[in-house]
Amino acid sequence: MNEFEPKVVAFCCQYCAYSAADLAGSMRLQYSPNVRIVKLMCTGKVDVIHLLKAFEGGADAVFVAG
Amino acid sequence: MQYAKKLLDEVGIDSRRVEMFNMGASDAQKFTGASDKMTERARELGPNPITAKKP
Amino acid sequence: MIVADRKPLEQISSMIEGNNKILIVGCGECVSVCMVGGEKEVEILASQLRMAAGKEGKKIEIGEATLERQCDKEYLELLKDRIENYDVVVSMACGAGVQFLAEMYDHKIVLPATNTRFIGVTEGEGVWTERCRACSDCVLAETGGICPVTICAKGLLNGPCGGTNDGKCEVSKEKDCAWTLIYNRLNKLGRLDSIREIFPAKKYNVQTRPGRRIHEAFKEKE
Ligand code: SF4
Ligand code: SF4
Repeated sequence: MNEFEPKVVAFCCQYCAYSAADLAGSMRLQYSPNVRIVKLMCTGKVDVIHLLKAFEGGADAVFVAG
Repeated sequence: MQYAKKLLDEVGIDSRRVEMFNMGASDAQKFTGASDKMTERARELGPNPITAKKP
Repeated sequence: MIVADRKPLEQISSMIEGNNKILIVGCGECVSVCMVGGEKEVEILASQLRMAAGKEGKKIEIGEATLERQCDKEYLELLKDRIENYDVVVSMACGAGVQFLAEMYDHKIVLPATNTRFIGVTEGEGVWTERCRACSDCVLAETGGICPVTICAKGLLNGPCGGTNDGKCEVSKEKDCAWTLIYNRLNKLGRLDSIREIFPAKKYNVQTRPGRRIHEAFKEKE
Protein backbone atom coordinates (compact mmCIF):
# COMPACT_ATOMS: atom_id res chain seq x y z
CA MET A 1 0.00 0.00 0.00
CA ASN A 2 1.90 3.05 -1.14
CA GLU A 3 -0.68 5.82 -1.31
CA PHE A 4 -2.96 5.49 1.71
CA GLU A 5 -6.54 6.32 0.79
CA PRO A 6 -8.68 6.07 3.88
CA LYS A 7 -12.02 4.33 3.82
CA VAL A 8 -14.61 6.29 5.71
CA VAL A 9 -18.04 4.89 6.47
CA ALA A 10 -20.92 7.26 7.15
CA PHE A 11 -24.11 5.99 8.75
CA CYS A 12 -26.76 8.44 7.63
CA CYS A 13 -30.34 8.95 8.56
CA GLN A 14 -32.49 8.86 5.45
CA TYR A 15 -34.26 12.06 6.43
CA CYS A 16 -31.54 14.36 7.58
CA ALA A 17 -27.94 13.49 6.82
CA TYR A 18 -28.72 11.49 3.70
CA SER A 19 -30.76 14.39 2.35
CA ALA A 20 -27.92 16.69 3.29
CA ALA A 21 -25.52 14.49 1.36
CA ASP A 22 -27.93 14.42 -1.55
CA LEU A 23 -28.19 18.17 -1.45
CA ALA A 24 -24.41 18.48 -1.34
CA GLY A 25 -24.47 16.50 -4.55
CA SER A 26 -27.02 18.70 -6.28
CA MET A 27 -25.22 21.82 -5.09
CA ARG A 28 -22.08 20.36 -6.66
CA LEU A 29 -20.19 20.76 -3.40
CA GLN A 30 -16.86 19.04 -3.37
CA TYR A 31 -16.34 16.57 -0.59
CA SER A 32 -14.13 13.71 0.27
CA PRO A 33 -14.53 10.84 -2.21
CA ASN A 34 -13.41 8.43 0.49
CA VAL A 35 -16.78 8.40 2.18
CA ARG A 36 -19.10 5.42 1.74
CA ILE A 37 -22.62 6.11 2.84
CA VAL A 38 -24.85 3.63 4.59
CA LYS A 39 -28.41 4.88 4.46
CA LEU A 40 -30.66 4.05 7.37
CA MET A 41 -34.27 4.77 8.17
CA CYS A 42 -33.07 6.51 11.28
CA THR A 43 -29.69 6.75 12.96
CA GLY A 44 -31.42 5.74 16.17
CA LYS A 45 -31.05 2.26 14.76
CA VAL A 46 -27.26 2.41 14.76
CA ASP A 47 -25.91 0.19 17.46
CA VAL A 48 -22.32 -0.03 18.67
CA ILE A 49 -22.06 -3.39 17.00
CA HIS A 50 -22.54 -1.75 13.58
CA LEU A 51 -19.71 0.64 14.31
CA LEU A 52 -17.46 -2.19 15.47
CA LYS A 53 -18.33 -4.27 12.41
CA ALA A 54 -17.43 -1.36 10.15
CA PHE A 55 -13.96 -1.23 11.71
CA GLU A 56 -13.70 -4.98 11.58
CA GLY A 57 -14.47 -4.75 7.88
CA GLY A 58 -11.56 -2.41 7.43
CA ALA A 59 -12.96 1.09 7.78
CA ASP A 60 -10.35 3.68 8.77
CA ALA A 61 -12.90 6.05 10.22
CA VAL A 62 -16.62 5.87 10.87
CA PHE A 63 -19.17 8.54 11.56
CA VAL A 64 -22.81 8.65 12.32
CA ALA A 65 -24.77 11.59 10.95
CA GLY A 66 -28.35 12.30 11.80
CA MET B 1 -20.91 6.91 21.23
CA GLN B 2 -18.92 6.94 24.47
CA TYR B 3 -19.48 3.22 24.74
CA ALA B 4 -18.31 2.59 21.17
CA LYS B 5 -15.20 4.63 21.82
CA LYS B 6 -14.42 2.68 24.97
CA LEU B 7 -14.88 -0.65 23.17
CA LEU B 8 -12.54 0.46 20.39
CA ASP B 9 -9.93 1.79 22.78
CA GLU B 10 -9.99 -1.55 24.57
CA VAL B 11 -9.08 -3.23 21.31
CA GLY B 12 -6.39 -0.66 20.65
CA ILE B 13 -8.15 1.15 17.84
CA ASP B 14 -7.90 4.90 18.33
CA SER B 15 -11.35 6.05 19.37
CA ARG B 16 -10.93 9.31 17.47
CA ARG B 17 -11.75 7.26 14.42
CA VAL B 18 -15.41 7.35 15.30
CA GLU B 19 -17.65 10.40 15.72
CA MET B 20 -21.25 11.50 15.73
CA PHE B 21 -22.55 14.57 13.88
CA ASN B 22 -25.93 16.20 14.06
CA MET B 23 -27.36 17.89 11.01
CA GLY B 24 -30.58 18.80 9.30
CA ALA B 25 -31.72 17.81 5.82
CA SER B 26 -30.57 21.11 4.36
CA ASP B 27 -27.15 21.13 6.00
CA ALA B 28 -25.19 20.11 2.93
CA GLN B 29 -22.14 21.97 4.18
CA LYS B 30 -22.26 20.23 7.50
CA PHE B 31 -22.27 16.91 5.74
CA THR B 32 -19.34 17.74 3.51
CA GLY B 33 -17.56 19.20 6.53
CA ALA B 34 -18.05 16.01 8.51
CA SER B 35 -16.89 13.88 5.58
CA ASP B 36 -13.77 15.92 5.05
CA LYS B 37 -13.01 16.06 8.74
CA MET B 38 -13.23 12.31 9.19
CA THR B 39 -11.23 11.60 6.03
CA GLU B 40 -8.58 14.01 7.25
CA ARG B 41 -8.54 12.36 10.63
CA ALA B 42 -8.19 8.90 9.09
CA ARG B 43 -5.24 10.20 7.06
CA GLU B 44 -3.65 11.51 10.23
CA LEU B 45 -4.16 8.30 12.16
CA GLY B 46 -3.11 6.10 9.28
CA PRO B 47 -4.67 2.85 8.15
CA ASN B 48 -6.94 0.84 10.41
CA PRO B 49 -4.50 -1.40 12.34
CA ILE B 50 -6.51 -4.48 11.43
CA THR B 51 -6.35 -4.08 7.65
CA ALA B 52 -2.78 -2.87 7.90
CA LYS B 53 -1.83 -6.37 9.03
CA LYS B 54 -3.62 -8.12 6.22
CA PRO B 55 -1.23 -9.25 3.50
CA MET C 1 -31.79 -10.17 39.12
CA ILE C 2 -28.13 -11.08 39.20
CA VAL C 3 -25.96 -8.18 38.17
CA ALA C 4 -22.56 -8.63 36.59
CA ASP C 5 -19.84 -6.59 34.91
CA ARG C 6 -17.85 -7.52 31.89
CA LYS C 7 -14.21 -8.32 32.42
CA PRO C 8 -11.78 -6.03 30.61
CA LEU C 9 -10.92 -7.19 27.11
CA GLU C 10 -7.29 -7.54 28.08
CA GLN C 11 -8.13 -10.12 30.71
CA ILE C 12 -10.37 -12.10 28.38
CA SER C 13 -7.73 -11.97 25.67
CA SER C 14 -5.07 -13.35 27.94
CA MET C 15 -7.37 -16.15 29.14
CA ILE C 16 -7.95 -17.36 25.60
CA GLU C 17 -4.36 -16.80 24.49
CA GLY C 18 -3.10 -19.50 22.18
CA ASN C 19 -6.52 -20.80 21.21
CA ASN C 20 -7.86 -20.23 17.74
CA LYS C 21 -11.37 -21.59 17.97
CA ILE C 22 -13.47 -19.89 20.56
CA LEU C 23 -17.14 -20.26 21.32
CA ILE C 24 -18.73 -17.34 23.13
CA VAL C 25 -21.91 -18.27 24.96
CA GLY C 26 -24.34 -15.64 26.19
CA CYS C 27 -27.25 -16.02 28.58
CA GLY C 28 -30.71 -14.67 27.91
CA GLU C 29 -31.69 -13.89 31.49
CA CYS C 30 -30.26 -11.51 34.10
CA VAL C 31 -27.04 -10.72 32.28
CA SER C 32 -29.02 -9.79 29.19
CA VAL C 33 -31.11 -7.36 31.19
CA CYS C 34 -28.09 -5.76 32.82
CA MET C 35 -26.48 -5.48 29.39
CA VAL C 36 -23.41 -7.56 30.03
CA GLY C 37 -23.87 -11.03 28.62
CA GLY C 38 -26.80 -11.22 26.24
CA GLU C 39 -26.89 -11.78 22.51
CA LYS C 40 -25.77 -8.24 21.78
CA GLU C 41 -22.82 -8.38 24.15
CA VAL C 42 -21.77 -11.71 22.67
CA GLU C 43 -21.61 -9.99 19.28
CA ILE C 44 -19.64 -7.10 20.70
CA LEU C 45 -17.10 -9.32 22.46
CA ALA C 46 -16.73 -11.46 19.34
CA SER C 47 -16.11 -8.38 17.24
CA GLN C 48 -13.59 -7.00 19.74
CA LEU C 49 -11.69 -10.28 19.90
CA ARG C 50 -11.61 -10.59 16.11
CA MET C 51 -10.30 -7.06 15.81
CA ALA C 52 -7.70 -7.60 18.51
CA ALA C 53 -6.52 -10.73 16.71
CA GLY C 54 -6.60 -8.98 13.35
CA LYS C 55 -4.40 -6.25 14.72
CA GLU C 56 -1.76 -8.82 15.52
CA GLY C 57 -2.18 -10.35 12.10
CA LYS C 58 -3.70 -13.48 13.63
CA LYS C 59 -6.81 -15.27 12.52
CA ILE C 60 -9.22 -16.68 15.02
CA GLU C 61 -12.53 -18.38 14.57
CA ILE C 62 -15.26 -17.26 16.88
CA GLY C 63 -18.61 -18.93 17.31
CA GLU C 64 -21.50 -17.09 18.91
CA ALA C 65 -24.41 -18.65 20.78
CA THR C 66 -26.86 -17.28 23.27
CA LEU C 67 -28.90 -19.65 25.38
CA GLU C 68 -32.18 -18.95 27.08
CA ARG C 69 -30.42 -19.65 30.39
CA GLN C 70 -27.16 -21.21 31.43
CA CYS C 71 -28.43 -22.36 34.81
CA ASP C 72 -30.63 -25.09 33.34
CA LYS C 73 -29.32 -28.28 31.79
CA GLU C 74 -32.07 -28.32 29.18
CA TYR C 75 -30.64 -25.22 27.57
CA LEU C 76 -26.99 -26.13 28.03
CA GLU C 77 -27.64 -29.39 26.23
CA LEU C 78 -28.34 -27.46 23.05
CA LEU C 79 -24.62 -26.80 22.72
CA LYS C 80 -23.78 -30.49 22.67
CA ASP C 81 -22.72 -30.84 19.04
CA ARG C 82 -21.54 -27.35 18.43
CA ILE C 83 -19.19 -27.15 21.38
CA GLU C 84 -16.99 -29.91 19.97
CA ASN C 85 -15.82 -27.63 17.16
CA TYR C 86 -14.14 -25.24 19.54
CA ASP C 87 -11.01 -25.26 21.68
CA VAL C 88 -12.32 -23.07 24.47
CA VAL C 89 -15.67 -21.73 25.59
CA VAL C 90 -16.13 -18.23 26.95
CA SER C 91 -19.30 -17.88 28.97
CA MET C 92 -20.90 -14.51 29.50
CA ALA C 93 -23.36 -15.73 32.13
CA CYS C 94 -23.13 -15.12 35.88
CA GLY C 95 -20.75 -17.29 37.86
CA ALA C 96 -23.43 -19.92 38.39
CA GLY C 97 -24.05 -20.23 34.66
CA VAL C 98 -20.35 -20.45 33.88
CA GLN C 99 -19.96 -23.27 36.39
CA PHE C 100 -22.95 -25.22 35.19
CA LEU C 101 -21.73 -24.98 31.63
CA ALA C 102 -18.26 -26.09 32.73
CA GLU C 103 -19.78 -28.98 34.68
CA MET C 104 -21.82 -30.28 31.78
CA TYR C 105 -18.92 -30.04 29.35
CA ASP C 106 -16.13 -30.91 31.74
CA HIS C 107 -13.81 -31.98 28.93
CA LYS C 108 -13.74 -28.39 27.64
CA ILE C 109 -12.02 -25.35 29.04
CA VAL C 110 -14.75 -22.92 30.06
CA LEU C 111 -13.75 -19.35 30.89
CA PRO C 112 -15.73 -16.50 32.44
CA ALA C 113 -16.13 -13.19 30.59
CA THR C 114 -17.95 -11.51 33.45
CA ASN C 115 -17.44 -10.61 37.08
CA THR C 116 -20.64 -11.41 38.94
CA ARG C 117 -21.46 -8.59 41.30
CA PHE C 118 -24.70 -8.91 43.22
CA ILE C 119 -28.44 -9.51 43.40
CA GLY C 120 -30.01 -6.20 42.59
CA VAL C 121 -32.51 -4.05 40.79
CA THR C 122 -32.49 -1.64 37.87
CA GLU C 123 -32.40 1.74 39.53
CA GLY C 124 -32.36 3.76 36.35
CA GLU C 125 -31.17 3.48 32.79
CA GLY C 126 -27.90 1.56 32.93
CA VAL C 127 -27.71 1.73 36.72
CA TRP C 128 -28.12 -1.27 39.00
CA THR C 129 -27.92 -1.44 42.75
CA GLU C 130 -27.64 -4.26 45.22
CA ARG C 131 -30.67 -5.17 47.29
CA CYS C 132 -30.16 -8.63 48.76
CA ARG C 133 -27.27 -10.70 50.07
CA ALA C 134 -29.17 -13.98 49.99
CA CYS C 135 -28.85 -14.43 53.75
CA SER C 136 -31.47 -17.22 53.82
CA ASP C 137 -33.29 -15.67 56.80
CA CYS C 138 -35.14 -12.63 55.54
CA VAL C 139 -35.84 -9.77 57.94
CA LEU C 140 -37.66 -7.43 55.58
CA ALA C 141 -40.94 -7.80 57.48
CA GLU C 142 -39.47 -6.01 60.48
CA THR C 143 -37.48 -3.41 58.62
CA GLY C 144 -40.12 -1.85 56.45
CA GLY C 145 -38.93 -3.65 53.35
CA ILE C 146 -35.40 -2.26 53.43
CA CYS C 147 -32.62 -4.77 53.91
CA PRO C 148 -30.09 -3.82 56.59
CA VAL C 149 -28.00 -6.89 55.85
CA THR C 150 -27.31 -5.45 52.39
CA ILE C 151 -27.74 -1.69 52.65
CA CYS C 152 -26.08 -1.06 56.02
CA ALA C 153 -22.31 -1.00 55.58
CA LYS C 154 -21.95 -3.09 58.72
CA GLY C 155 -24.96 -5.28 58.16
CA LEU C 156 -26.36 -4.26 61.53
CA LEU C 157 -29.67 -5.74 62.58
CA ASN C 158 -30.14 -3.33 65.47
CA GLY C 159 -29.28 0.01 64.01
CA PRO C 160 -28.51 2.70 63.57
CA CYS C 161 -25.00 2.74 64.95
CA GLY C 162 -23.42 5.85 66.41
CA GLY C 163 -22.01 6.79 63.04
CA THR C 164 -25.27 7.74 61.42
CA ASN C 165 -25.04 11.33 60.28
CA ASP C 166 -27.89 13.31 58.71
CA GLY C 167 -29.14 10.26 56.92
CA LYS C 168 -25.70 9.29 55.64
CA CYS C 169 -23.46 6.47 56.74
CA GLU C 170 -20.18 7.12 58.53
CA VAL C 171 -18.44 4.76 56.14
CA SER C 172 -19.05 7.11 53.22
CA LYS C 173 -21.00 10.29 52.69
CA GLU C 174 -22.19 8.81 49.40
CA LYS C 175 -24.01 6.01 51.18
CA ASP C 176 -27.41 6.42 52.73
CA CYS C 177 -27.66 5.16 56.28
CA ALA C 178 -29.78 2.05 55.98
CA TRP C 179 -31.22 2.54 59.41
CA THR C 180 -32.32 6.10 58.68
CA LEU C 181 -34.08 4.76 55.61
CA ILE C 182 -35.67 2.07 57.74
CA TYR C 183 -36.72 4.58 60.40
CA ASN C 184 -38.32 6.84 57.83
CA ARG C 185 -40.10 3.99 56.13
CA LEU C 186 -41.43 2.54 59.39
CA ASN C 187 -42.52 6.01 60.42
CA LYS C 188 -44.43 6.38 57.18
CA LEU C 189 -46.04 3.02 57.72
CA GLY C 190 -46.95 3.89 61.32
CA ARG C 191 -44.91 0.96 62.52
CA LEU C 192 -42.14 2.66 64.45
CA ASP C 193 -42.67 0.29 67.36
CA SER C 194 -40.98 -2.32 65.21
CA ILE C 195 -37.63 -0.52 65.39
CA ARG C 196 -37.65 -0.81 69.17
CA GLU C 197 -37.64 -4.55 69.06
CA ILE C 198 -34.23 -6.04 69.50
CA PHE C 199 -33.27 -8.52 66.87
CA PRO C 200 -31.74 -11.67 68.26
CA ALA C 201 -28.53 -12.84 66.65
CA LYS C 202 -29.06 -13.82 63.07
CA LYS C 203 -29.39 -17.44 62.11
CA TYR C 204 -26.10 -17.80 60.34
CA ASN C 205 -26.39 -21.55 60.45
CA VAL C 206 -28.90 -21.40 57.60
CA GLN C 207 -26.25 -19.81 55.41
CA THR C 208 -24.49 -23.04 54.66
CA ARG C 209 -22.27 -23.15 51.64
CA PRO C 210 -23.06 -24.21 49.05
CA GLY C 211 -26.74 -23.43 49.39
CA ARG C 212 -29.13 -26.15 48.43
CA ARG C 213 -32.89 -26.20 48.26
CA ILE C 214 -35.26 -28.98 47.38
CA HIS C 215 -38.85 -28.24 46.53
CA GLU C 216 -41.34 -30.05 48.76
CA ALA C 217 -42.89 -31.83 45.82
CA PHE C 218 -39.53 -33.31 44.91
CA LYS C 219 -38.26 -34.31 48.33
CA GLU C 220 -39.37 -37.89 48.15
CA LYS C 221 -37.42 -38.56 45.00
CA GLU C 222 -34.16 -37.48 46.64
S1 SF4 D 1 -32.68 -9.92 54.91
FE1 SF4 D 1 -31.71 -8.90 53.18
S2 SF4 D 1 -30.10 -10.31 52.54
FE2 SF4 D 1 -31.50 -11.47 53.82
S3 SF4 D 1 -32.91 -12.39 52.35
FE3 SF4 D 1 -33.85 -10.50 53.10
S4 SF4 D 1 -33.27 -8.98 51.58
FE4 SF4 D 1 -31.89 -10.73 51.28
S1 SF4 E 1 -24.32 4.74 59.73
FE1 SF4 E 1 -26.17 3.61 59.23
S2 SF4 E 1 -25.68 2.42 57.38
FE2 SF4 E 1 -23.74 3.16 58.20
S3 SF4 E 1 -23.04 1.50 59.45
FE3 SF4 E 1 -24.18 2.84 60.84
S4 SF4 E 1 -26.29 2.04 60.81
FE4 SF4 E 1 -25.22 1.09 59.08
